[in-house]
Amino acid sequence: MKRVLLNPLSLWGFVIIAGILLLALFAPLIASHDPEAIDVKAILLAPSSIHLMGTDGLGRDVFSRMLFGARISLLVGFVAVGIATVIGIILGAISGFYRGWVDIVIMRLVDVMLSIPTFFLILAVIAFLTPSIWNIMIVIGLTSWMGVTRLVRAEFLSLRGREFVMASQTLGAQDSRLIFKHLLPNSLTPIIVSSVLGIASAVLVESGLSFLGLGVQAPQASWGNILTDGKEYIQFAWWLSLFPGMAILITVLGYNLLGEGLRDALDPRTTKQ
Amino acid sequence: MTKYLLKRLFWMLPLLVGISLVSFLIMHLAPGDITTTEASFNPKASEESRQKLRQIYHLDEPVIVQYGLWLKRMVTLDFGKSFATHQRPVFWQVKDEKGNITKGMIQDALPVTLLINVLSLVLIIVVALPLGVISALTQNRPPDRAITIFVFIGFAIPGFWLALMLMYWTGVVHDWLPISGLHSIDFEKMAWPAQILDVLKHLAIPVFISGLSGLAGISLYVRNGMLDVLHQDYITTARAKGLPENSVVYRHALRNALLPLITILGLSIPGLIGGSVIAESLFAIPGMGKLFYDAVLMRDFPVIMGILTIGSALTLLGNLLADVAYAWADPRVRRGVVQ
Repeated sequence: MKRVLLNPLSLWGFVIIAGILLLALFAPLIASHDPEAIDVKAILLAPSSIHLMGTDGLGRDVFSRMLFGARISLLVGFVAVGIATVIGIILGAISGFYRGWVDIVIMRLVDVMLSIPTFFLILAVIAFLTPSIWNIMIVIGLTSWMGVTRLVRAEFLSLRGREFVMASQTLGAQDSRLIFKHLLPNSLTPIIVSSVLGIASAVLVESGLSFLGLGVQAPQASWGNILTDGKEYIQFAWWLSLFPGMAILITVLGYNLLGEGLRDALDPRTTKQ
Repeated sequence: MTKYLLKRLFWMLPLLVGISLVSFLIMHLAPGDITTTEASFNPKASEESRQKLRQIYHLDEPVIVQYGLWLKRMVTLDFGKSFATHQRPVFWQVKDEKGNITKGMIQDALPVTLLINVLSLVLIIVVALPLGVISALTQNRPPDRAITIFVFIGFAIPGFWLALMLMYWTGVVHDWLPISGLHSIDFEKMAWPAQILDVLKHLAIPVFISGLSGLAGISLYVRNGMLDVLHQDYITTARAKGLPENSVVYRHALRNALLPLITILGLSIPGLIGGSVIAESLFAIPGMGKLFYDAVLMRDFPVIMGILTIGSALTLLGNLLADVAYAWADPRVRRGVVQ
């Protein structure tokens, strides 16, 4: 942990993500208005001391909507990547540990999934479901487990041949003990790094889907769907487009910095350089 | 080499069948079909007429039977006709009895998307190579720092947002660039140089947007690749025998650092194709992404299946091309392939 915080990249990433997490957590306390309250007397107001980031086409306070939108982005990132990581660990572990025909089947499935342009696949599924934040998280999770699977498999394959694993096996350790006590804990670093980087892309995908109108639905606020409004009013209300875009940029940047920093800090090979 | 190519091409077949099966299952497991959208357009449509519609399109059969029917037609490259837009053929043009030609939807859209992708790839290579090399040669000094910051922002910036901002800045505030479509209204009357310029003007922002994250990624790869190679023994040797620094950097180091790039470019193809959806919808460019988005909203199964299959086939072909290019560029790999 000390090494992680000493690395300038991951320190910055950590500060950014922690900041957004706090803002999202205390959104109801910080927000100056009800994020879903419509006020016809305050339509498209420019940023001021009352409305820090102005108001949208229905007179809703953009600052408050941004705060609650942060909750969506964080939630989607965590849950989607959580799903992908769990699937990836299970399939990768089976593949790398047992090898043989299960490995072949799983790896061909990975090939198939990787060959379909991902965003097309997500769009195809999302469009047929009722758009909701839960469906989005599940679909992003179910379409992004391939990287983790390959990673875990590769780690397991290389770890299985190492002396400490063979020694444990010779002493009569069961498969489950080998997997959970030896192989998995030693593969954690790359899994964590790829998960953090995965959250960044999940946040981008969610905002893109919401922007297209296939994601989080109004009146619930998400950075993506605030931007959809921004597109409509771009000639009159720059604040509707500027703030959510910056928020997505900063969040994704935060996760990327954290991920790269973790990689540098935890991987002895790159630290040496 | 030919044998290797044939083997690889042959292996694409089962993979494509797998891809189409996965796509088909996913699409049909989800609730709703074309009759749902038709009904929402025409509230008077009775359950009976919807049932009839389902029969016409074989939507009342079990999924696996539908997939069999689809696969049977695929053998003759028949992607079927669109449910939604005037029964247009999905893939390629057809001639009716009177000799009228109806162009295929993908036939129209694919060249547009390919053009955007090829231009993005050119942009990526032209900009990312020098950036990566400069970054590596000035490691940890100001130019490298600046490029690294650019790379991180390029990774993190939401493409559709940047597109929106550029659209506003160049199209609404300044009127420098057109903001929608593929060409101007008077395109037909222009001379060909003006036509090319017109298309390029329309595609400038979309190409920049779809290339940006790739650009960031590739410059990072070139930087790290160069740093790796520059620490190798043969570079020290080249320097020790007194070669000029330029020759060491460009002839010895860069050429070797570029090798992995071929694979990376091949792997970036599905991202480029998938990324076209938002840019094309935003700028109303009639490419694969916009076609797919519209088809998805209409639940137009044949079009969705057609695009997923063609998009995946392109991805596989791209990977194959990358592998062949790698073998061509690297004698060590070539020897391995032939054996």
